[in-house]
Amino acid sequence: MAVVLAAFPGSTAGSGSAVTGSVAAKPPVVAKPPVVAKNATASAHLPGYNTERNAYFGDLHVHTKLSFDAYIFNVRASPDDAYRFAKGDTIGHSSGFNIRLSGGPLDFVAVTDHSEYIGALQEAADKNSPLNKLPIVDGLFSTDPVKIGQAFSRVVEAMGTNSLPMEFGDKRIASKAWKEIQDAAERNNDPGHFTTFVGYEFTSAPDGRNLHRNVIFKSAKVPELPYSAVQSQDPENLWHQMDTWRKAGIEVLAIPHNMNGSDGLMFEQTRRDGRAMDKAYSDLRMRNEPIAEITQIKGTSETHPSLSPNDEWANFEIMESYIGRAKAITKFSGGYVRDALKSGILMQDTKGFNPFKFGFIGSSDTHNAAPGSVEDRNYFSKVGRTDGKPEQRGSIPAEGRKTWDIPTNDPNGNLGRFQSWGASGIAGVWAEENSRDAIYSAMRRKETFATSGPRMRVRFFGAYDYPQNILKRSDLVTVAYRSGVPMGGDLMPSKGKAPQFILWAMRDPNSGYLQRAQIVKGWVENGVAKEAVFDVACSDHLAIDPATGRCPDNGAKVDLSNCEPTKFKGDAEIRTLWRDPTFKPNQRAFYYARVLENPSCRWSTWDAIRNGTPPNPKLLPTIQERVWSSPIWYAPSL
Amino acid sequence: MTLLLSKQSPARAVIVRTGREPLVHFLLIGAVLFVGVLVARSLQRPVVRIDAQELGQLAGYWSTQMQRDPTNEELQGIIHERVDEEVLAREALRLGLDKDDMIVRRRLAQKMTFASEDTANLHEPDEAALKAFFEKTKADYQAPPRVTFRHQFFNSDRGKDQALARATAALAKVASTQGETLGEPFLLPLSYSDASLIDVNKDYGQDFAGALLSAPLNQWSGPIASAYGYHLVKVDSRMSAKTPTLDEVRSDVLAAYQEQARKARNATFLADLRKKYRIEISGIPQTILK
Repeated sequence: MAVVLAAFPGSTAGSGSAVTGSVAAKPPVVAKPPVVAKNATASAHLPGYNTERNAYFGDLHVHTKLSFDAYIFNVRASPDDAYRFAKGDTIGHSSGFNIRLSGGPLDFVAVTDHSEYIGALQEAADKNSPLNKLPIVDGLFSTDPVKIGQAFSRVVEAMGTNSLPMEFGDKRIASKAWKEIQDAAERNNDPGHFTTFVGYEFTSAPDGRNLHRNVIFKSAKVPELPYSAVQSQDPENLWHQMDTWRKAGIEVLAIPHNMNGSDGLMFEQTRRDGRAMDKAYSDLRMRNEPIAEITQIKGTSETHPSLSPNDEWANFEIMESYIGRAKAITKFSGGYVRDALKSGILMQDTKGFNPFKFGFIGSSDTHNAAPGSVEDRNYFSKVGRTDGKPEQRGSIPAEGRKTWDIPTNDPNGNLGRFQSWGASGIAGVWAEENSRDAIYSAMRRKETFATSGPRMRVRFFGAYDYPQNILKRSDLVTVAYRSGVPMGGDLMPSKGKAPQFILWAMRDPNSGYLQRAQIVKGWVENGVAKEAVFDVACSDHLAIDPATGRCPDNGAKVDLSNCEPTKFKGDAEIRTLWRDPTFKPNQRAFYYARVLENPSCRWSTWDAIRNGTPPNPKLLPTIQERVWSSPIWYAPSL
Repeated sequence: MTLLLSKQSPARAVIVRTGREPLVHFLLIGAVLFVGVLVARSLQRPVVRIDAQELGQLAGYWSTQMQRDPTNEELQGIIHERVDEEVLAREALRLGLDKDDMIVRRRLAQKMTFASEDTANLHEPDEAALKAFFEKTKADYQAPPRVTFRHQFFNSDRGKDQALARATAALAKVASTQGETLGEPFLLPLSYSDASLIDVNKDYGQDFAGALLSAPLNQWSGPIASAYGYHLVKVDSRMSAKTPTLDEVRSDVLAAYQEQARKARNATFLADLRKKYRIEISGIPQTILK
């Protein structure tokens, strides 16, 4: 018994503690659970199989030393290390301390290194390699954060102009790295306990405007080499390549991310080459990109305060700069998913197709090979040696000072960018079991959700005629599936009735309590796409104020001297049934759920408390962690 | 000699005389030999041959960089550079520049390492060997306790005391009901089959997981607290932490066996190699001794 309890990762003893030396000891995680079902036939179910589906938490955006930038950031952790970390093990951070998840192991992970010049920087750092002697390599492998920054810019610049030496693209180097990624995924995939996917990042950024997406393969059957942005910056060409793979039996999907850094390009309403979109384009896009990563460390792309002025919670971990440099974004429309979903339903009405009908997922984008490292109380950011310490990310005053009276020198704007990043981005899926097939299928049908870090669960179903007592019935989920559609689905045509939604959320035992549940609606009215945020259930016995449509303040606060939340505020569970009071049968619409926790300390405040200094006055001291479901769409009958 | 000279013109006499000089014979023969050697040498020059496959590869790199195929002129440039590289490398080898060069040495050593690994076939161990290996490494495969249980949930968001009272009242009634659910809907599963205690702990908290280990079998008990509220539980079966049999983990054991066999082979290969040499270390500089 004692052994077992000691083996519990994320038990109360481990939670709440920051990155400290005390985690150096390797936790006695059971190294290899019995793999009874590993070689079993397809018909056998894995442990935990549930026809009504379980919530699994993961990270589909993870970089290791094989990514050119991570390597420059001094990261030397491998894909194997990344999987070890996700399973609860301790690994080293490039700044010289140990890191470990405080919330316990994840259920699934994909290592997604940049495919462009994959493995080449590691090769170039090898004194044995001919790459090592190329002029561009000089000074690339510094341990000085300033020089690291310069080296990073130099390589990004050279990639942008296609002027990296051709040896960097040597197929033998790429093949070696690609094989390492596949081998690590194969070694660590353990059906029923821990699922891995082979993947990579397609790193396209025309004029620095971010069009990155992660490419995730369903099985071990993958192409000989990734199709990268060196071959084409146009995602449409990637999708054609994916179609070609699919015809050859290689099932694959892509997940776009950081629309917030695209300066309006990710959801522009023409094709990348300037031609008009058509149904074939829309089908191609949706066939290959069923879901989008809406939150990660480099900001949340749900919506922007300027796009949603009536959403009081729109200002969540917003990043307003280009990716990898301090250039300000000027165009927010086209860079956020709520706005894109609205454009999509409007296009469906006016043009007969919808290229933006995607579900939601979150992921970290760690470059520390640390999947799931988006815990505010245990945050070490994501770009290795350049932001591993609080001073480098602007959460404590520079040079050991105790106050913020003297502003920190930030000529390159790096500090400004790093402090705007959030500890956010976990992938949630509803799947029958923890396997590649089940989780991949969940992504295909968009039965996915995104969280800002905590592992809260959310169910979301839509229908017209749920029984009055459904919320109290023990067969709630059975009925919800049988007579409705889950998140990611399409409502049946209405027979005059407004749609009803079951919204059911459960807290993360390792995080705060829930404060309110909301439904975000987008619809088309007289040729204009509109949006509204409805509070649909409140915690703490509170009723929605009919005048404002909002839950009253539940009084939950945070003591900023120690990050303790107000006791006995918020609920463990929110369960409600909501019928849209503004429904018009002729208006195309989408609905998604958003559930907020009580306020809690932002990572920057945790850093400040540990340092014994006041939080950075330029940053919000608290946030409200949240979970977003994928949308459900409504189409008027013709 | 004088006689002959008088018979002929002076110029002719010079030529004839020169023709008879042994030095001239020597020079002529030398010239012929020289030209002959030149011709022979030019026929024997070492060949630099770049084959179509390599050219295709080089052009491929170029296209990847430039996003188009090279023109003929550019292709000539690629070939030219490749030939330059080859003749420089050959000349360097001829002059022995590869000697005492750390980079060249490491590269060669690396290639040899790869080559020796490639030639060694995967070794299929016999049953006895695999069994012995498994006995030694058993601890690596230990599995956590597993529990099969059902539970009923009582939400405490509207007050802990009320939830506890509802749960306690339900416990008194539950024995007389036939499988009827007295609890409230719950977002996580209400029954678990053969669940790992590690997973239960992750989702419900340590108190709940610990209570499952001591709860009586085959009867409803509780209430026990979790991160969500109160629960009644009925544990149907419990399996303590156990070490699997070889058959249950055979493929993992085999992989681990082969990995350690590979390491052992490499070590043996190196040890044998060392025996072919007499190794002399002439001493370690005082400055680096700690």
